[in-house]
This record gives sequence, C-alpha cells and structure tokens, in this order.
Amino acid sequence: MSITDREVAVEKLSEFRNRLWYTLGVVLDDPWARLGLFILSAFFFLGIFGPYLAPHDPIQYTVTDETGSMLRTDAPSTTAPMGTTAFGKDVLSQFLAGARPTFIVGVFGGLGTGVIGFLVGLTSGYFGGRVDEVLMRFTDLTFALPLLPMALLILTFVTPSIYLIAIVITAFLWKMPARVIRSEVLSVKERTFVRSARAVGAGHGRTMFLHVAPNVLAVGFLYTAYAVAWSIAVQASLAFLGFGDPTMTSWGRMLRQVFESGSIRVAYWWVLPPAIGIAAVTTSVFLVGRSLEEVINPELREEKSE
Amino acid sequence: MNFRRFLIKRIAISIILTVVAVSIIFLTMRLLPGDPFGSLVASGDLTTEQLEAVRAQYGLDQPLWAQYVQYLSNILTFNFGYSITQGRPVWDILLPQLVATLVLLVPALIATAIVSTILGMYAGWNRDSLFEKSSIVVTTFFRSTPIFITGIFFLIIFAYQLSWFPAFGIRSPTANPEGFTELYLSWDFAKHYFLPFATAVLFYSGDFLLLSRNSIVERKGAAYLKLHAAKGLNEVEQLARAGRNSMLPVVTYFALRMGMLFQGVITLEVVFAWPGIGRGLVTAIQQQDYPTVQAAVFIMALAVIIMNLLADVVYARIDPTVSVGDNV
Repeated sequence: MSITDREVAVEKLSEFRNRLWYTLGVVLDDPWARLGLFILSAFFFLGIFGPYLAPHDPIQYTVTDETGSMLRTDAPSTTAPMGTTAFGKDVLSQFLAGARPTFIVGVFGGLGTGVIGFLVGLTSGYFGGRVDEVLMRFTDLTFALPLLPMALLILTFVTPSIYLIAIVITAFLWKMPARVIRSEVLSVKERTFVRSARAVGAGHGRTMFLHVAPNVLAVGFLYTAYAVAWSIAVQASLAFLGFGDPTMTSWGRMLRQVFESGSIRVAYWWVLPPAIGIAAVTTSVFLVGRSLEEVINPELREEKSE
Repeated sequence: MNFRRFLIKRIAISIILTVVAVSIIFLTMRLLPGDPFGSLVASGDLTTEQLEAVRAQYGLDQPLWAQYVQYLSNILTFNFGYSITQGRPVWDILLPQLVATLVLLVPALIATAIVSTILGMYAGWNRDSLFEKSSIVVTTFFRSTPIFITGIFFLIIFAYQLSWFPAFGIRSPTANPEGFTELYLSWDFAKHYFLPFATAVLFYSGDFLLLSRNSIVERKGAAYLKLHAAKGLNEVEQLARAGRNSMLPVVTYFALRMGMLFQGVITLEVVFAWPGIGRGLVTAIQQQDYPTVQAAVFIMALAVIIMNLLADVVYARIDPTVSVGDNV
C-alpha cells in the first residue's frame, strides 16, 4: 500500500469513527436498546468468567443433603440457590458454566458469518456481471439447503464440538449478510466518489476496500450482530435436539435434559434460567439492532428527522 | 428481457438448483462415515452374509456413481423407496407427517401474515405512539427468541401450571382416529392445536409487523399521499392507499417464509410432540433410517426452491418498477 492509500484509509476510518459515536448516541437514547446493551454486556461477562464463578463443577459435583444422600430435582434452597437437576447437579453452576459454549458459538458463528458474508457481498456487488451471477447462484444454492436439517445430518456422522458447530452455522448463514451487503454495494458503487476514484486510476481492490467498503461497513456490523443471535439460536436448537457438544454444559443442553427427564412439569427452577438466558440474549441483539437500523436505513432516518 | 424469457430462465435455474441440492444431500449421506446396518451386525442380529444380502437389496453394494444415478432418478420422481427401520414405503411414513405439519403451519402463517401486517401498518402510521413502541418490543421478543423456547414457556405456563391445554401430541392418547377427517375434525384436536399454533403465530408475527410498519413509515409523506390528503381523504383512507403500495414486500416475504417453514418447525414439533415431518426427520436421523432422512430433507429443500421461484415470479409480475432483467 502506498502512503496515499494509508491516508485515505485513515481518513475513512476517522470518518467511520465519528459516525460510530453518533450511532452509539442514538442507540443509547433508546431505553430498550440500552437494556439490550446492558444484557449483552452481562452475557459477555458470563461467557468469559461464568465457569470460574460457578460454585461447583457443573457435571462432576453432586449436591447432597446433611445425611449425604443426593438431592434430586430439589427446589431452590441454601445448599443450591437455584435448585438441583434430576441428576442431583447444581443448576446455578450449570447456568454459569453453560453461558460459555453459548457465547463461543455465538461469537465465532456470528463473526464468521459476518466476515464471509461481507466479503462475498462486496465482491459480488462491486464486480457485477459474471462474478455476481456465479456468487449469487451459489447463495441461492445455500438458501435451498435447509440449515437445521443439513446441520443435523452432518452432526450425526461427526462428533459435535462447539467449534465444529460454529463452522457449520457459518457455512449456512453467510448468505444472509451477503445478499444485503450486495444490494447496498450496488447502490453505493454508482455514486460519484466511487466513479471518480476509478477515473483517477484507483485499482479495483483499492476502490472496493477503500471507497465502497467503508460505506457498507455499518450494515456489515448490523448483520454480524444479527448473525450472533442466529448462531446462538441455532446452537441452542441443535443442543435441544441432542446434537450439541456432549462434553460441555450449554444452556441448550440444559433445556434438553430438563425436557427429556420429564422434570419440565415441575422443575421451573431448572427450566427458566437457561430459557430466559437464551431469550434475553437473542432479544437484546435485535433490540440494539433495531435502533441501529433506524440510523442506517436512510428512509426510516429521514422520516425521523422531519 | 421479457417476462417469458425471465420465467424460463428462472425455472431452469430452479431445476439446476434442485439437482445440485439433491446431489449434496447424497454426498453428505454417503461420504460421511456410518452405515445403518453395521450396528445390526455388531449387536449380533445379522450375520455378515445376511448383511451383504440386505446391502444388495438396498443397492449399497453398487459403485458410488451407480448408486448416485439410481438415487437421482428415484428421488426426482418422488420414488423414495422403503424405510429401513419400519419396513414400509417412505411415503407412507412421510405423507401423514407432511399433512400434520402443513395443517399446523399454513393456517398459522396466513393468520399471522394478515393480522401482523394490519397491526404493522397501524403502528407505522401512528409513529412514536405507545402502540408502535410496545408492539415492536413485544414482537422483537417473539421473533428473536428461538421458537422452541417460546414453546417451552407456553408449555410450562398453559399446559403444566394452568392445565388449560394438553401438553403434547395431536390427539389424546385414548383417541384412535381413522383417516384424516376423523383426526383433524374434533374438539380434542383443536385443544392440542392451540398452543403450537399460537407459538408459531407469535414467532412469525415480528417479521410481518416490522416489514409493513417500515413500509408505511417510508411511504408516509410520499407525494401521492399528500395529494390524497389534499383531496380530502381521511386518515383511514390514506392508510389504505399507502398499505396497498406496501403489500409487495409482504407478499414476497410470505412466499419466502412459506418455503422455509419446515426447517423452523423442527424444534417446535419436538417440544409439543407434534407428529410432523420435522419431528419425523429427527426420529429418522436417530434411527439412521437413511431413505426417510433423505426424502424428508429433499422435501424441505424442494419447498424452499419452489417458494423462492414463486416469490421471484410474483415480484417481477406485480411490481411494475422492477425490470426483470439483470439488476446490474
């Protein structure tokens, strides 16, 4: 990269930073988005530190009463603040430790989806013509392959691990941001500054990444955030159906166990923590995303400023 | 490009997509390790010779390419073969399941498309009202929460705590209905129907509500509406005119959703023990019943392809501003 490229990049980045602050201001203005951000930060914290906070090992440790007998499906008490499972395990520990696999799949699946989708959409929209045709038929194909059934198929034959699950999710979800980014790029690339960049002799790579990409980056971020929520939802669904990582306690796996054991009828203390956890995180992503969309989508924004 | 050429091109693409999707399903099932009969030998139920005979019967002793050609011609003619574990034609297993799924989801989708679209239009027209704000938060919750978790919430509240509705199945265990009419036309069925139906309606409501709300927000203030206002039309009449013009995204979205129905419904059917194709697929996978799995996934993929095609065609047909040619 020449010096001028770097200068352009720095300029674009600072422009982007200003917009980011402005966007953040708008988001923080919306009480529901604020709540969403708060829940997401809590989830972020649990995802990293949850397993260390757990008072007991979620799988090895068995809760017992004074006489030493196992406490099965026991309501919340001082020994187990959130009750126990049908197998005598501590629900609080499982909940805290279970945040991590949920978090890891969410982050990796979301980032993978966002990055691949962004690059495909950018390339497809920027070059158009044959490149576009090939890439879009490819996205059509992944649209035709139903995500959950295909994921179930693949995970039947190979032992699921959280990273593998994140990869499978990415392989099926990248099409969502790709289509949106592509259509954004189509409208951006006709604008004057892109044409003039080309006219003064900027190469394709340069025009694409320095002049077009920054203008669609916001939408890219938005869809990466959505992809995090989708990944968490898919991971929870897979775990619930019994296709999760067998070595780790995740919120989805907790739901499977409570459902399979039949304790769902009575053990609200075992059902609610993972169910509310997943619902709160996915909803928060969309609450924040919605208020971001108000900033990004020009039609909705102009109306707002009137 | 005129409409007929567009149509032919789009149909050709769909056919190619179907063949490629089917091939990928085949490859996934054959190239990954695992054999449905291997476990029978290990457990002593079959001798090695018997295993060879069974494998030959299912064509598993043929070279891969021969299996592929055979499979392709079978599945594309909807000849799904026999279930390995149940010894019945796959169609006999899948057809009732398919019907159960459609009976659950098609009415749910139509209901939510109509109700949520109208509510969304109302919300968009009354921007910043309490109704707009609360409807958005509520539907955001239902559309972003995985459908089975909403289902679990409903299950523990309405089935287990309040005992208003039965918790699982399509009919009570004592009911022994013969044929579709007896199965579906009964009060018992309606009670079993309500919770999964309500869950699906709420899950899909958010997308329709937001779509029509955004559509109205974008159109409010458009020149033609100012004209209508100047002509003296009242608010409801203006909304009706704005609504008519925002139907297009809703209609195309409806078709797309219809195609993706089957995949979203798997966990819902498991939660409510609804004997649909999604739950059938999970069971077939657990039992390694390859022919059934193959056929179920194929039906799901085909639904998406056909509905995508339909959405594209409808879009091109009814939106006069869309040129049907390449959009570059």
